[in-house]
Amino acid sequence: MSTTTLNHSIESHGHEHAEVTGWRKYIWSLDHKIIGLQYLFTSLGFLFVGGGLALLLRWQLAYPSTQVMANGDVGNPLSLPFINPQFYNSLFTMHATVMVFLVVMPLLIGAFGNYLIPLKIGAGDMAFPLINELSYWVYVLSGAILLGSFFVAGGAAAGGWTSYAPLSSVSAYNGTQIGQSLWCVGIFLNGLASIMGAFNYITTIVNMRAPGMGFFRMPLAVWSLFITAFLLLLAVPVLSAAAAMLFLDLNAGTSFFNPANGGQPLLWQHLFWFFGHPEVYIMILPAMGMVSDILSIFSRKPVFGYRAMVYAMVAIGFLGFIVWGHHMFVSGMNLVLSAAFGVSTMVIAVPSAIKTFNWLGTLWGGSIRFTTAMLNALAFVLMFVIGGLSGIFMASTPVDIFVHHTYFIVAHIHYVLFGGSIFGIFAGIYTWYPKMFGRMLDENLGKIHFGLTFAFYNLCFFPMHNVGLGGMMRRIADPTAYEHLRALQPINQFITLAAIGLGFSQFIFLWNFFRSLRHGKPAGKNPWNATTLEWIVASPPGHGNFEVTPRVYRGAYDYSVPGAPRDFMMQNEPEPSESSQGKAAGRKSVTAG
Amino acid sequence: MKLLETPLMTRTSSFRGLAFLTAFALTLARAQAEIRETSVWWLPRNVNMFGHDVDFLFYIILFLTGVAFIGVFFAMILFLIKYRYRPGVAAIHTHGNNALEVVWTTIPAFIFLALAIYGNEQWSKMRRQTPPANALPVAVVGEQFGWNVRYPGPDGQLGKMVAAKISKENPFGIELADPAGLDDFTTYNELVFPVGRPVRLYLGSKDVIHAFYVPEFRLYQDMVPGRVYDFVWLKAEATGNFQLACNQLCGQGHYKMFGKLSVVPELDYETWAKSKTPPPVTMTGR
Repeated sequence: MSTTTLNHSIESHGHEHAEVTGWRKYIWSLDHKIIGLQYLFTSLGFLFVGGGLALLLRWQLAYPSTQVMANGDVGNPLSLPFINPQFYNSLFTMHATVMVFLVVMPLLIGAFGNYLIPLKIGAGDMAFPLINELSYWVYVLSGAILLGSFFVAGGAAAGGWTSYAPLSSVSAYNGTQIGQSLWCVGIFLNGLASIMGAFNYITTIVNMRAPGMGFFRMPLAVWSLFITAFLLLLAVPVLSAAAAMLFLDLNAGTSFFNPANGGQPLLWQHLFWFFGHPEVYIMILPAMGMVSDILSIFSRKPVFGYRAMVYAMVAIGFLGFIVWGHHMFVSGMNLVLSAAFGVSTMVIAVPSAIKTFNWLGTLWGGSIRFTTAMLNALAFVLMFVIGGLSGIFMASTPVDIFVHHTYFIVAHIHYVLFGGSIFGIFAGIYTWYPKMFGRMLDENLGKIHFGLTFAFYNLCFFPMHNVGLGGMMRRIADPTAYEHLRALQPINQFITLAAIGLGFSQFIFLWNFFRSLRHGKPAGKNPWNATTLEWIVASPPGHGNFEVTPRVYRGAYDYSVPGAPRDFMMQNEPEPSESSQGKAAGRKSVTAG
Repeated sequence: MKLLETPLMTRTSSFRGLAFLTAFALTLARAQAEIRETSVWWLPRNVNMFGHDVDFLFYIILFLTGVAFIGVFFAMILFLIKYRYRPGVAAIHTHGNNALEVVWTTIPAFIFLALAIYGNEQWSKMRRQTPPANALPVAVVGEQFGWNVRYPGPDGQLGKMVAAKISKENPFGIELADPAGLDDFTTYNELVFPVGRPVRLYLGSKDVIHAFYVPEFRLYQDMVPGRVYDFVWLKAEATGNFQLACNQLCGQGHYKMFGKLSVVPELDYETWAKSKTPPPVTMTGR
């Protein structure tokens, strides 16, 4: 692709819409940065909603409203009486739905994807600004419908976020006809928003990279979002279709999933997990990409094994589509199929291992700065390792027979999704907040927030491994109903206390976030001395991002280049003339397209 | 630049807090725990023949993942200390090392494949091997929110189950023409297994998906409506009282869908079975 077409495409897309000013900017701006911030604020809001739901359900597990006390009374004296078993089912269903669809995906893909992709590839905006804004508002609508379902007759969906049929598809079984139907509608709309975002990102990255920004000069954050967008485009429509079928089963008398009329319950599981497993990677890949960049910035070192990192992410993307059956080892699916999925699942662990080793390689020989962003990125690596390793237990079919649907898997998913994605998100926020708002977050508050979050997080989720191995099932409203679980109750109460600590620690973050908007130290263009293109423009960048389309001369990670005047070389800096021959030979320059 | 020069953060305080809270939790557990034969922090005892293989594989994976985690953890700590920012010391400029990439791709690949192959062998043994001929057949059909259980009478044979025939009136989907079913007896939320004798389960469901889960048996199996699963079998190696729990969300009563499961000596089982008078017109269920 020639320079002229690139420039043309940037101009035609980036500047065709005028800047919206005043308050309307925050409602209907087509600027990718504003849309990114809309996603950021909205999904952070939902994070507190989802966290609140988690605390309610943790409270019920520690002090059940149905517990039979020693004196025969029903209800722990400390219990919240409004949490009855059905409401408890709604709580964990909606906790997961909110966290997955309204928090982690929109934060990683909506907020960071929107904000960072054009800036990092040197484009003026996204390829389709109008669809971009539409995607945001459809997402808001999906959130409103999902949360609104708490207030309809019967309450919110209570069949788990996995909504296994026929519990979910027959209202006589679930008792939440309206709530479950609204869940389908919300998920369908949410999927629509994801699909709109995904093809926008792919188009933008393929067509609108600045001159010189070859694919293998893109920062890993962009690569990860690029691969994630493909996963979204291929996986999300399947969930949307499944949600539509479920809606029809509930409301139109069809029987896709109800065996009483010839339907097939396992069909739902196959459709759901065909989406659901790529979804796991959708929620971790962007965090992996951002963390790779952050580790490099604060180690003042190039990412170790950049190409291996890219290939590993591509491999995860492909393999992610052939492992869904590992959620169904004990579902009664064909037993030979289980064995096959067991093998593919073990294989997908390899690229994750490659990524971990390369992160360590990036730290090796660095000059490491312990900023809050870096601490969160390091926590991401360590927690992702725990979450990844605990996944191997479930990947082994015989062990899965024992640990399936216990708290062991609850611990596993939270090590990946909170320990991984959320720490990655915090690392991203601490890194790019200065770019987004032109001011620094307070580092001391940031470190207190990190320390408390890290400690309470582990106190909360690590013991879940133990109660899971001890035989505690997930999704039960009252562990004290079971003789074999009563002895575990003190651990459950401890986990709840830690969860409360974890929740309240986030108010420090909130305080820091809003206080720094006005009182943070001015950030300047490039507070971290980083190399990528977003740091060559003002903080926050103006409408259209770049006054002149930058030309890219080097990869994204030229830190501590020997002989260079500074310990970082911006991507738009030409090679210093005297040493250019030696280095250009060592580093192949790749052209776009 | 100033922000970059923050010294290594002291996280000892949070670690001390962690140690304290763990100690606190342990004390709490000791003070409040009801009687449980094994530690509340670890696996319950295993009484199923196949459980040994599950546990063995569990410990292999625990060892491998433990070694991997400790390796990564200490490498990281070492690098963080050794390569922390020091004025005048520049980072090493390197873009990677292909030989290392090959090494740390190949080694995990072999370990994971070995695990998958070994796991599959065990899986075949547990789930795909035909149960012994002397296995006691027991049908368990879940419903919202309880367990229908059906035992063979003196003939030692259950009536033939047809998934499509499972209904409110015929919870086991028994083929009415099958004479083997005439002497069957049923219980509700009550299972008794003879110790040392293989038991072959016939699992089904009347309404939604339930799951047969007993941690002491290292056993979990979904029961999908519209099907009858006949491949799960087990052999209890010790007597005791256990709890059968539904472990697949099945509605608002899910949390209390449990049953009594006792493993008793063979003779006690015979006595118990005799005490359960077969209903006069048995063919239609419990």
